[in-house]
Amino acid sequence: MSVAGDLLVVDDEPQILRSLRPALTAAGYGVSTADTGAAALIHLAGEPCDVVILDLGLPDMDGKAIIARLREWSEIPIIVLSARDLEDEKIAALDLGADDFVNKPFAVGELLARIRAALRGRDLRLAGRARFRSAELEVNFATRRAYVQGDEVRLTPREYDLLRTLARHPGRVVTHKQLIAAVWGPDASVDAQFVRVLVAQLRQKLEENPSAPRVLLTEPGVGYRLAEGDDA
Amino acid sequence: MLNFAMPAIQRHRRALSYVGAVLLVLAANLLALLLDQQLGYARVSMVFLAAVLISAVGLGSGPAYLAAALGFVSYNFYLVEPRFTFGIESEDIVILIVFLAVAMLTGGLAGRVRDQARQSRDRAQTTSVLFEAGRDFAALGEEAPIARRLADGLAGAAQGQAVVAIGPEILASAGATPSAGLLEALRTCEVVSAHLEGPDGWRLRGLWADGRRLGAAAWRPGLMQSEEVDQFRLIHVLLDMGASAMARARLGQAWAEIEARTRTESLRNALLSSISHDLRTPLAAILASATSLKTFGGVFEPEVRDDLLDTITEEAERLNAFVANLLSMTRLEADALAVQPSAFEIAEGLDRVHRRYAPRWPDRRLLLNLPDAPLTGWGDAILFEQALTNVVENALRFSPEGGEVRMAARRTGDMILVEVSDQGPGAPEDELGLIFEKFYRSPSANPNLQGAGLGLSIVKGLMEAMGGGVSAQRRTDGSGLIVALSLPEAP
Repeated sequence: MSVAGDLLVVDDEPQILRSLRPALTAAGYGVSTADTGAAALIHLAGEPCDVVILDLGLPDMDGKAIIARLREWSEIPIIVLSARDLEDEKIAALDLGADDFVNKPFAVGELLARIRAALRGRDLRLAGRARFRSAELEVNFATRRAYVQGDEVRLTPREYDLLRTLARHPGRVVTHKQLIAAVWGPDASVDAQFVRVLVAQLRQKLEENPSAPRVLLTEPGVGYRLAEGDDA
Repeated sequence: MLNFAMPAIQRHRRALSYVGAVLLVLAANLLALLLDQQLGYARVSMVFLAAVLISAVGLGSGPAYLAAALGFVSYNFYLVEPRFTFGIESEDIVILIVFLAVAMLTGGLAGRVRDQARQSRDRAQTTSVLFEAGRDFAALGEEAPIARRLADGLAGAAQGQAVVAIGPEILASAGATPSAGLLEALRTCEVVSAHLEGPDGWRLRGLWADGRRLGAAAWRPGLMQSEEVDQFRLIHVLLDMGASAMARARLGQAWAEIEARTRTESLRNALLSSISHDLRTPLAAILASATSLKTFGGVFEPEVRDDLLDTITEEAERLNAFVANLLSMTRLEADALAVQPSAFEIAEGLDRVHRRYAPRWPDRRLLLNLPDAPLTGWGDAILFEQALTNVVENALRFSPEGGEVRMAARRTGDMILVEVSDQGPGAPEDELGLIFEKFYRSPSANPNLQGAGLGLSIVKGLMEAMGGGVSAQRRTDGSGLIVALSLPEAP
């Protein structure tokens, strides 16, 4: 096992694999590749792997089907490669259990940041951490309190639930649907507009400049993401 | 003025049938006199009864009653003692009254039978006219032919002329060229339950369906033609049927338009997503390679750096080829592809494509068979290479790993044939002609291997623009496809 972790890159375009491998290797990851969904599932069943980087357009099966199959038995972080304009596809992949996405084309640094966030999120989940802390923000899950620059901010229960959901997966995108389920309950039929309103309220309390957010970030058309913490 | 009353012509005809009854009784009188004088046969009540019956069957019940009355008087005047007076002897009065009763009864009955027969004949005719019109309306899907059919049906029903005007565009006429005055009247006519008296004896009615005015119709009965209430009803039902058929046609057209738009939409989406994929994949490789070099350039081995730089170069070339294809497609679409033909060596083009593509697909074998004698083609070398590139790339893409793609060139007659054969899945016989159609995506092939269905259509466009062509056939020696490009030989 490599120092930083083992990755599986699933893409049917050889030039993508060819261009990604050197940088991922240089960043300390062990890199395996698969060019079909079947090959990816076989690899994951037998080999150690910490993060899957999955292109959604594969020749043999739909990338979303691979996510669904994998999630039947594995919690391994999945980062989806997709196009900027295919929002529905990304949302469907995330709702099926993918952890994050990167829009094609991307700079290698962006992909590396997502891999780090995915690994950290997994570690946080495993550690059962009681709080989230970044440069500006701290969320204490045990006491249900939030602090900005060390000062406590008073949040409504819904605001807290939304913040907690994002802070449980720092640096990772959370879809509108997932936020609605976490705040209003899994069966709630709530418009994404309510999430937008709640996020705006939260930003008033958390952000220095709510119209240029640095903490609670928007992923247009998909959902929201909390800027990564620094204590992982 | 609204008019639904019985017109003058009809009254005229009714009067004629009464005259006919009088003439029949006169004839009966003559016959009775003849019988009486020549044969001395005075019991001729049957002759008058015959006149009454003929009137009844031929002219209707009204004339039959008239004939019965006249027959009664004549019989009395000429034949009943005392003759040539209207007086009646006591024993003859019974005969006379019986004659009158029988004449009235049989005349009335026969007349009613005749009237009913005529009515049911008219009804049958009306039914069949409406049935035929309904059948034709249902078969015609568009407004203009329905309007023409309605005009014909209307002219037939009125036994005269007819004009149907729908909106500003559709004008159908049967037997007449509408005058400006009539057209103006048609434009403004809105009545729906009855009709307007228009200029020159035309009658007008608006055509409505579902509460909307579609247009108007006008008709003018023939000169010697009677008009009856039944006929009015027929005309109005015909107009209603025509109007609703046109409304249905409009709905059908709107539906077809929506369907066509949906089809175009999904085609455009498929094209866009395919173009976006074809543009984005090389861009993703270029961006990832470039940013890798920027971030990790110092720690990469020289071979790794070279490989990333090669990726950038190759992917940029791929993008370039793709953009060239898009440009060709646009030019072919706009008929703006001007070929400046010149002589060029076919072998050189094949060799260039071979050198470019063989290293790009290391797990496929791209083979080149060149004839010994030089082949000189007549066309545009760059466009030919672009067409060949598309065919070769397609063949490589559909080939299995370790598969073989063979390029060969030969002369047939005054054409040069360049064949590219692969070991891919091939195509079913019935798709061979379709694979060169724009946007054709084979239902039998792997959807992820197929692009937007543009590559081969561009090949076809390019080769035809150079006076050549392209065809495909299945390999007989195993699975796979042979695509043949033909090009004129240089003169």
